[in-house]
Amino acid sequence: MIDIVRLHIGELAFNIIIILVKTAIVFGVAMLHVAYATYFERKVIGHMQVRLGPMRVGYHGLLQPIADGLKAFFKEDIIPSGADRPVFVVAPLIAMFATISSLSVIPFFDGFVIADINVGLLYIFAMSSLGAYGIVMAGWASNSKFSFLGGLRSSAQVVSYEIAMGLSLVGVMLMAGSLNLSEIVKAQQGYWHGMFLIPQFIAFFIFTVGMFAETNRAPFDLPEAESELVAGYFVEYSGMRFAFFFLAEYVGMIVMSSISVICFWGGWTLPLFLVNALPFLGEIPGIVIFMLKLYFHIFLFYWVRATLPRYRYDQLMSLGWKVLIPLALVNIVVTSVVKFFL
Amino acid sequence: MQIRDLVKRIFLLEIIKGMALTLRRMFTRAVTRQYPEEPRPAMPGFRGLHALAKDDEGNMKCVGCGLCAAVCPSQCIRIFTSEGLRHEKVVERYEVDTLKCLFCALCVEACPYGAIVLTRHYEYSAYSKEDCYMNKERLLENWDKYMAGEVGKEYFERFWRPMSIDFEGSDGQAVFKGVKGQ
Repeated sequence: MIDIVRLHIGELAFNIIIILVKTAIVFGVAMLHVAYATYFERKVIGHMQVRLGPMRVGYHGLLQPIADGLKAFFKEDIIPSGADRPVFVVAPLIAMFATISSLSVIPFFDGFVIADINVGLLYIFAMSSLGAYGIVMAGWASNSKFSFLGGLRSSAQVVSYEIAMGLSLVGVMLMAGSLNLSEIVKAQQGYWHGMFLIPQFIAFFIFTVGMFAETNRAPFDLPEAESELVAGYFVEYSGMRFAFFFLAEYVGMIVMSSISVICFWGGWTLPLFLVNALPFLGEIPGIVIFMLKLYFHIFLFYWVRATLPRYRYDQLMSLGWKVLIPLALVNIVVTSVVKFFL
Repeated sequence: MQIRDLVKRIFLLEIIKGMALTLRRMFTRAVTRQYPEEPRPAMPGFRGLHALAKDDEGNMKCVGCGLCAAVCPSQCIRIFTSEGLRHEKVVERYEVDTLKCLFCALCVEACPYGAIVLTRHYEYSAYSKEDCYMNKERLLENWDKYMAGEVGKEYFERFWRPMSIDFEGSDGQAVFKGVKGQ
């Protein structure tokens, strides 16, 4: 059936259709996950604070994200009079598209990736840096001191944490010998441990800290620091534009969690010794394994947010430059030496 | 000591402890009450909506002395009286503006006959000011609704003992002469 269609419409058109279908699936599933990530965040943090979280809309508040979405959609769109209009309008779009396009290189299970490019990891870094532009521009264009401070903080934070994060993944690249995310997953199968988490635990620690800083989540949520900057860079945004920033933040969480799953937790695979010991584990579809690992990471985001207070700005900077970057460099040297002699 | 601190810092012991605490709390029961479905029952003696007490025959206890109105700090009680056929005082109107009331229960304390009470009912929000303005009929109705029977008895016995119980009467005139039997 598929072959007949392919013959009929030609190779190129067929591939384009396949890509479009994959994009639609990934986009749809990601949007659903974003909607329910907000719900589960409120639920999890609520229960951690011995509250209930949303309970009113639907059974145990299950329809809350839909209500929130509708509300955001029908809200008045306000642009402050002193704002730089074009930049103000473009900023949330940049933030959103940069993070959403990162989803295109993530392999969710064996063979399912929209763009299987060889510089996947680099592409993700490029896109997440680009997302920070959205935040900085929003802060600058809003003509508000809170937004401006949020934007400034974000730019400084991204500069210092992206380095540590990039360097931490160099160890993974060295071990995998590739920047292609599917290749990285497959490379982990070649080792006895089946996960880079075990040899690269330092890199994993640095990456996790960098992940929180990169997505502007607690305890590094300085750009939006609610208690001091109201909402930081998106103070002046309302309605759909506000929702775009929200979307960008949650998609960013999903992307960063996926990278962690792929680079450290073996993606859609389980360690070989585990599968050999318990053969039924081999029957679990890859997407389920990937998603469970992803959910654990997203839960980690909530868990940390419910536990840790926000870092002070100088603490954030000193942690980034004085601890994480030297640690990442040491990790690279050690990994290279071990790799060279083994 | 220093090595211990270093180990603590490297392995993030404090953070792990905190995370363990939040995780444990996640599986405990939430303390939230889902209010309209799980109402919080008011304790006996609660100071809620006002009511005018009735005696066993169903007559209003209030004699219209005006002590409650006099003592009321927010001046939300209005009493209008007139002279009856046998020269007795007749309470024509007894009005409480519940929006002004601060629920101090000084009126209940001041009343020598236990004629005004604050019931346990507190869910009487309304869309208009008029609905929150209680007249004599509504106040008497409140007694039937929320304080009739044992509830009213317990209210006076346990919490708001009216002074008339302690009155030493002489020649048909009530004069306070200290607590009876002491």
